[in-house]
Amino acid sequence: MKAAPARNAVWAVAVATALLAYPLIFSSPFQQRLGALVLLYAIAASAWNIVGGYAGQVSVGHVVFFGCGAYAALATYHHTGLPPIAGVPLGIAASVGIAALIGVPTLRLSGHYFSMATIAVAELARLVTTNTEFLGAAVGLSGPTVPRTVFDLSFISALPYYYLFLAVLALTLGLTWWMERSRIGYYLRAIRDSERAARSLGARAGRVKLYAFMLSAGLTSVAGALYALMFGFVDPESGLGILISVKMLIMAALGGAGLLFGPLVGAAILVPLEEISNSVLGGRGAGLTFVLYGAIIVLIARFRPDGILGLLRLRRRAEVPPKDKTDAP
Amino acid sequence: MLLEAKGVSKVFGRLRAVDNVSAGVAQGEILGLIGPNGAGKSTFFNCLTGDVAPTSGAVLFGGEDVTARSPERRAELGLARTFQLPQTFDGMTVLENVMIGAFLRTAETREARDRARSVLDLVGMGDLADTPARTLGTPGRKRLEIARALATEPKVLLLDEAMAGLNPAEVRRAIDLVRSIHETGVTLVIVEHVMEVITSLAGRVIVFHQGQEIASGPPREVMRDPSVVEAYLGKRAGRKAGAHAP
Amino acid sequence: MISATLVQVIVGGLLLGAVYALFSSGLTLIWGMMNVVNFAHGDFVMVAMYTAFMLWSLLGLGPEASVPVAALVLATIGILSYFLLVRHIMRGPMIAQILGTFGLALLLRYTVFGVAGANFLSLPDHLLGGVYEVFGIRLQASRLVAGVVALLVTAGLHLLLTRTTLGSRMLAVSEDATAAQLMGIRPDRMQAAAWGIAAGATGIAGALIATFFYISPTVGETLAIIAFVTVALGGFGSVPGALVAGLLIGLIESLSAYWIGAVWKDVVVYVLFVAVLWFRPQGLMGKS
Repeated sequence: MKAAPARNAVWAVAVATALLAYPLIFSSPFQQRLGALVLLYAIAASAWNIVGGYAGQVSVGHVVFFGCGAYAALATYHHTGLPPIAGVPLGIAASVGIAALIGVPTLRLSGHYFSMATIAVAELARLVTTNTEFLGAAVGLSGPTVPRTVFDLSFISALPYYYLFLAVLALTLGLTWWMERSRIGYYLRAIRDSERAARSLGARAGRVKLYAFMLSAGLTSVAGALYALMFGFVDPESGLGILISVKMLIMAALGGAGLLFGPLVGAAILVPLEEISNSVLGGRGAGLTFVLYGAIIVLIARFRPDGILGLLRLRRRAEVPPKDKTDAP
Repeated sequence: MLLEAKGVSKVFGRLRAVDNVSAGVAQGEILGLIGPNGAGKSTFFNCLTGDVAPTSGAVLFGGEDVTARSPERRAELGLARTFQLPQTFDGMTVLENVMIGAFLRTAETREARDRARSVLDLVGMGDLADTPARTLGTPGRKRLEIARALATEPKVLLLDEAMAGLNPAEVRRAIDLVRSIHETGVTLVIVEHVMEVITSLAGRVIVFHQGQEIASGPPREVMRDPSVVEAYLGKRAGRKAGAHAP
Repeated sequence: MISATLVQVIVGGLLLGAVYALFSSGLTLIWGMMNVVNFAHGDFVMVAMYTAFMLWSLLGLGPEASVPVAALVLATIGILSYFLLVRHIMRGPMIAQILGTFGLALLLRYTVFGVAGANFLSLPDHLLGGVYEVFGIRLQASRLVAGVVALLVTAGLHLLLTRTTLGSRMLAVSEDATAAQLMGIRPDRMQAAAWGIAAGATGIAGALIATFFYISPTVGETLAIIAFVTVALGGFGSVPGALVAGLLIGLIESLSAYWIGAVWKDVVVYVLFVAVLWFRPQGLMGKS
């Protein structure tokens, strides 16, 4: 246990080096684009992980925050002509507001209410957007077709996006790391193990979970804005469809929910898998991919709720004797 | 009275688990709550800590009405507790468990760690600091819960059967621990089955039977009270039938 | 002055609401008994709808056959889900509970998508003869039959839970599984039975709703949210609560479609859900 921080530092340096070097070594457009997508989804899944993993509150409608970011960026461009990135603060503000709307009433109740509310609000946002001309209705919104200035952040090559996403991922993981080490992080872990005991020791469980949710929502909206920058387009399906929520939670859960690098590991496995299945199977592949996702989620829930990194961690701790369950009442 | 219940009742469906109980504990006192299984002492205890909202009546802490206050607010005011079935944070180390308590009085991780270490030394668990909490057995868990509660720097510490499941040697160690906590000026409320614990610790006991207070006073006197003896004989019969309700 | 059209909208809404009440009863039963929310519940309804559609398109059978068959198919799926998945995740961490049934939802949804495609399907109108006029109100036979049957089945479900030995055994397990076990009741069996009954009722609802509703692989998502709203509004675990709430939601949907426009009817229901969580999380009939 004592060696863990040192070992983690070595790992972090190794991972950082590999991530920095990847697009230079794998330099074909397909590989660079794949790398950028992995990072983009890793950002979104890491943001989900703050509330879903650390706080143990399973959001199944996180796409609503992703959509806020994407729509805020492109609506800002569409209606004012400013670069899309100018809409990022707006997206963050909207996301944090929606998080409060969902979180304030439900985080006091059992976790089921929270999950149900997130899925309902995400559907609500999709329906409202589909019927709102201002947000492009069913057609969607586009970004600048030709970059006017560098601030439009519109590039043909995936390489600039790759490094931009890497920087944002570093920021996201840095924030998560800081949170993990501060009082709120300790409280979140305690609440996940026993909310009752944590509250008896003075942890304001509802408030702590709400803060985590708002942080998570804000970061997810940044991921949505980055998506909009790279693809230059968003419509109700690509920006607010339930499948984006599914991707976020499955990547985090597969890699290891509540672990810093879990979502990155999950994204690095699933994004290539999906890209390959889409290119091999075409349109029909999308359905199959999600059948597979469903199966993976069920298997994780049934056998390994702490994901791949959780499994590795367990191996390392194999010398620790098993939990004593002989509590006589 | 530092902590006081006024006419507290708790009704679950048709069951009056606590029936109009008024009781209080003064600064520096050790109050024992005893009674057979299902007598309502645990429910009453949970009304004091805020885990259960009383159906009627009021709970006062330091003269302030805290009936509607959440457990976390009561913890801030200086009320700490342990659980009958230990609620250890199993994903954490022993030290981290205690840090959760220490965080109530400081937001600094480093400071919380230092305070948690000194509490662990105080309860004699200093060498277990980096052990995962899930590897502890029952005595360790019970002691850890006390350490965690102490780290919140409480005025009143409520112990819910902190000695249940301990062997006689462990019970004696635990009694010594509770005494040393008391000597630092902490007021104590203890729910207990083990009579030895009550007689050697509590200055005053309240006996519960079927949700009501049937006797109170110094432990040795109360135990001679015929109504108390009768209540306890009922308990033995209940045990034989194999009932295990808390 | 209430126009005949409005009366028709109200009656139509109540009939639809009865079907909502029926499939929400399944959700509330499981939640109340085991404290597990089945996120695949809407997709159970969807599978029942496809069952009804296939019975018609392959064998030419109508609801008199598809209702019992869908009930059986779904009861089987429910019991299998319990033994293969739910039993193992219900004591686990919250994340496993929610991911488990949510994953099951995706699995069902996209398996159907892969087999049947994304097309919207519907059963022909003539399957349950035309339109009737009662007291000047025009009613589609399919909706009338669906509403009335749903009401009867929901009432039957309530009686089953409150008036039979099976029901009181299930109640005993939900209140204290250990104590129930000491009395010779096997919690595992009772919980499996609850899943069978809940999913079976959902199957009936799905076969009924298929007679007048569009059928698509993703219809379950919409229906699941309606069930969530119904259960939250009715108070969890309460079948009578689900009945009242279901009727109310059917009515609200119909009226908002009539007054504001059909595309907004779901929006109104979802907003209602958020409002309930804010102001009455214990449900309209629950005690605070």
